[in-house]
Amino acid sequence: MITDAQRFQPFSEEPIRLIDQSGAWLGAFPCDLDDATLHAMYRHLVLARAVDERLVLLQRLGKISFTASAAGHEAAQVGTAHALRVGRDWIFPYYRDTALAIAVGWPLVELFGQMMGTRADAARGRQMPAHPGSRDLRIFTVASPIASHLPAATGTAIAQKLAGAGDATVCTFGDGATSEGDWHAALNFAGAQGAPIVFVCENNRYAISVDLRHQTGSDGLAVKAHAYGMPGYLVDGMDLLACYYVMRSLLEAARDGLGPALVEMTVYRYGPHSSADDDSVYRDPAEVAAWRERDPIVRFRRFLTARGGWDEAAERELRAAVTRTVDEAVEAAEAAGPVPVEWLFDDVSSRPTPQLERQRERFRAARRAAGEDVAD
Amino acid sequence: MALQTYVQTIARTLMEEMRRDERVVLLGQDVGRRGGVFLATEHLFDAFGPDRVIDTPLSEAAIIGAAVGMAVHGLRPVAEIQFADYVFPGFDQLVSQAAKLRYRSGGAFTAPMVVRMPAGGGVKGGHHHSQNPEAHFVHTPGLQVVYPSTPSDARGCLQTAVRGDDPVVFLEPKRLYRASKEEVPRDVDQLLPVGVGVRRREGDDVVLVSYGASMRETLQAAEALAQQGIAADVIDLRWLMPWDQALVLERVAAVGRVVLVSEAPHSGSMLSEVAATIAEEVLDMLEAPPLRVSGFDTPYPYAQDRAYLPGPNRILYAVQQVLDY
Repeated sequence: MITDAQRFQPFSEEPIRLIDQSGAWLGAFPCDLDDATLHAMYRHLVLARAVDERLVLLQRLGKISFTASAAGHEAAQVGTAHALRVGRDWIFPYYRDTALAIAVGWPLVELFGQMMGTRADAARGRQMPAHPGSRDLRIFTVASPIASHLPAATGTAIAQKLAGAGDATVCTFGDGATSEGDWHAALNFAGAQGAPIVFVCENNRYAISVDLRHQTGSDGLAVKAHAYGMPGYLVDGMDLLACYYVMRSLLEAARDGLGPALVEMTVYRYGPHSSADDDSVYRDPAEVAAWRERDPIVRFRRFLTARGGWDEAAERELRAAVTRTVDEAVEAAEAAGPVPVEWLFDDVSSRPTPQLERQRERFRAARRAAGEDVAD
Repeated sequence: MALQTYVQTIARTLMEEMRRDERVVLLGQDVGRRGGVFLATEHLFDAFGPDRVIDTPLSEAAIIGAAVGMAVHGLRPVAEIQFADYVFPGFDQLVSQAAKLRYRSGGAFTAPMVVRMPAGGGVKGGHHHSQNPEAHFVHTPGLQVVYPSTPSDARGCLQTAVRGDDPVVFLEPKRLYRASKEEVPRDVDQLLPVGVGVRRREGDDVVLVSYGASMRETLQAAEALAQQGIAADVIDLRWLMPWDQALVLERVAAVGRVVLVSEAPHSGSMLSEVAATIAEEVLDMLEAPPLRVSGFDTPYPYAQDRAYLPGPNRILYAVQQVLDY
């Protein structure tokens, strides 16, 4: 029997690809997913793009302070999400992983609550937008400092190995992260331990303005795995099924005790780095346009259409449903209302220090003296 | 003279320093083609090219560590850390290498370099884009630390820092980058000496001591006090290590009441150091205990971004306490 792990070659010259631009299946094995699964994947792509577009709009309206668009990264993230066992495997994402969070089931009300910092945010309004996290879904809450989550991801994977329950960890990051010392520390430790973890680089070729050529002298990023004793896979990150199958096979291998892997998914971010960036300074619009031509959502839709079972009517119905879902979630997240001012003092440590208690009292007294309502 | 913002002043001053001394090189993330994410290095890449304005890989350790090595070989590197919150992967290089090189080599090697970093909150950035980490650096012997509050001061302190012989941590209040505008002289030296603060206002009822972004709220509080007939003496420290002990002690001894203001967390802060020094040196001249108005011992919050900052109301409350004491 051919296992998934034997289907893909590490360190290939060309990215692993299973669907071509026209939507035709290229795999040497049959696609074993049923319609329900494929349609759920497609729904996640469309939903993630709709959420992304809404976030850009909300930022322009001043309802959120920041957004880091994931448009162009959806196939990599949704493919990865569907390869996970949600609630068992751990996910260590970075700030551009909105589609990943959506596809593993992060409730949209929580998502928009996090973005707006309202009571709908499970993290109580503590972080800037684009920082998902969920205890139930085992999403390790995002931290902004690049690659700072990688060593922790390795630690979780080592703990999973010790527990012996056959669980695994997925850790995602951008191309810039591969330059941080923490990145190398984490891969090295994972390699030495044979930890059940798959590191996923969403390589969009730009760390804000710095292109890959100035980020590293190495020929691609997958090759860096070699030095840490793990396989490195180069995958077309705009091909949902390539991302899904490679991730599925590597997670299976990790669960079977075959150790960690690195996956480089070639993607492109259509928008600027964030709402605070102007990418016209460092990117040629023709380059952006060329990548948009390879849109992962269009490509997957072509695959579904060619396969049968997906038509214009289904598409229209999906788009309408997605718009409704997003509208409702935004409304509910906003209606939850602002977080109380004094929540800022909670959750610093297992119990507040006497120093912090005193600061809180003084803060309250100063507000009272200024005639503010301290009940809030 | 046209008005110039804080961030334009940084870019302009760097331009002048690079023209003046070809040993001055810049390095950091996005400092080149992008001109810095806040545009603090705008136009410099075009003016000086990729050898002197270096877009680095995304590694603060590489940026700060490489600056040490460049400095040892005779360059005058000015490194940018994109946000002060991101300095920590480079913290080892600052603390273990830059700060201690002169000492451990018996003066044979030095690291004359500047590490610039935007700091402070009030920009809806949450705890990874709002912190004030100055206490870490003040607590590291061998580093100079400066946190100028106005465009003119930024210019004078940056000239001093670039031309000095020590590693300087140069903190810039990001919420004033565009909000603070002044007429700033160009193409003339205006060096502000290391460790010298400045009186922003004169008064005999209470001394307010602050620095960096909090100067703005401190001056607003002083203005509100003036409306009530209370004259505040306002000191801007500018330099946090070394800091202007002589100026602070002289004014506090003369007035007898002092309130210290900063948005950094309360415990173990720069303000703690100033308050302790006041207690040690001029206790018998005090009419009331020194009070600190600061950020809290919490990570910088997102939703309550503004409440965290020591605003005029909290400053006025503390002033009332020292006056009523």
